Amino acid sequence: MSMTDIHSRAGRFQSRIRTRNLTEYAAAALVIGMFGWMAFLIPVLVVKIGAALTALGAAYVAYMLHRKGGAGAALPDGAQPCADFHRRELLRQREALATVPRWYLAPFVPGMLVFVGGVSFVADTGMSLMARFFQFGSSTAIICGLFAGVAWLNARAVKQLDTEITALDAARRGE
Amino acid sequence: MTHQVDQDARYKEAAERFGPALQRLARASEANPDRRRDLLQDMHVALWRSFALFDGRCQLSTWVYRVAHNTAARHIGRESRHNKAQLSLEDISHLPDRRSVAAALEESDGLDRLSTWIRRLKIPDRQVLTLYLEDLPAAEIADITGLSPGAVATRISRLKAQLAKDFQEQTHA
Repeated sequence: MSMTDIHSRAGRFQSRIRTRNLTEYAAAALVIGMFGWMAFLIPVLVVKIGAALTALGAAYVAYMLHRKGGAGAALPDGAQPCADFHRRELLRQREALATVPRWYLAPFVPGMLVFVGGVSFVADTGMSLMARFFQFGSSTAIICGLFAGVAWLNARAVKQLDTEITALDAARRGE
Repeated sequence: MTHQVDQDARYKEAAERFGPALQRLARASEANPDRRRDLLQDMHVALWRSFALFDGRCQLSTWVYRVAHNTAARHIGRESRHNKAQLSLEDISHLPDRRSVAAALEESDGLDRLSTWIRRLKIPDRQVLTLYLEDLPAAEIADITGLSPGAVATRISRLKAQLAKDFQEQTHA
């Protein structure tokens, strides 16, 4: 590669990281805007609170993304032997996956539950009590199911990474 | 400005000396030609960027191979869903049916099969094997990978045992 190509590609690499971060912030802004608007527009107090909590949850996730974005992947440098670099990469991925339920999913739970509860029980929809319970139960089950599914997939990936880290440590010991 | 001139000069020297080795590593790391080209370019950029930090603490070859292999390892981790499942050295049972690895490497179909076989290895084994095929001594492989010299020697001897087993099977066939 020519030096011009090298410099150009190195610059594009930084742009890609910035673009990825901006995309995530834009998604958070969309969620905040949407639920913030609902909190403003919808007359039912409980639903307003649920929408506001969801928007706050999205704001918290955006803040955590910003904080974690600063501690991104290290550049591959020649000072680090391959086994050390690989282990650090595996640990970084493991940490990210293991904490997703706590800082990426959990912030949305209170707002979603209050929102769905408000829509099901407080809003004047003319539905019977049984139908309201069914609506709340099924909506909550879908939300919890989705979040639980994501958490389960993450936990499985964490377990696979743990196995890889253990095998790598054994290799470093000469086993 | 002087700093960048030094960085560029070091990169040019390394690219000229180790360019073919980087190409072989990219081939052994990525099956898809387009992604292989991206990986090779990423290796070169990573190498150039790394020379901003190079302070002569190790040999140039050690530095270059570390950067290249670390870049490849990150790529493999990211692309693992596109490539086939990785196996440990113990699970490898098929090798190119040539009289010698050198003969296999001279022929493109043998090289393709060897590369395919290497890509199925887990990262530490893959790194040791590709460095071994670059004719590096075990001590330098240990320095690059961070494995103990004993661990490198064990892995290399298991690889040789697998090769010997394959040759014996070919002889009896």
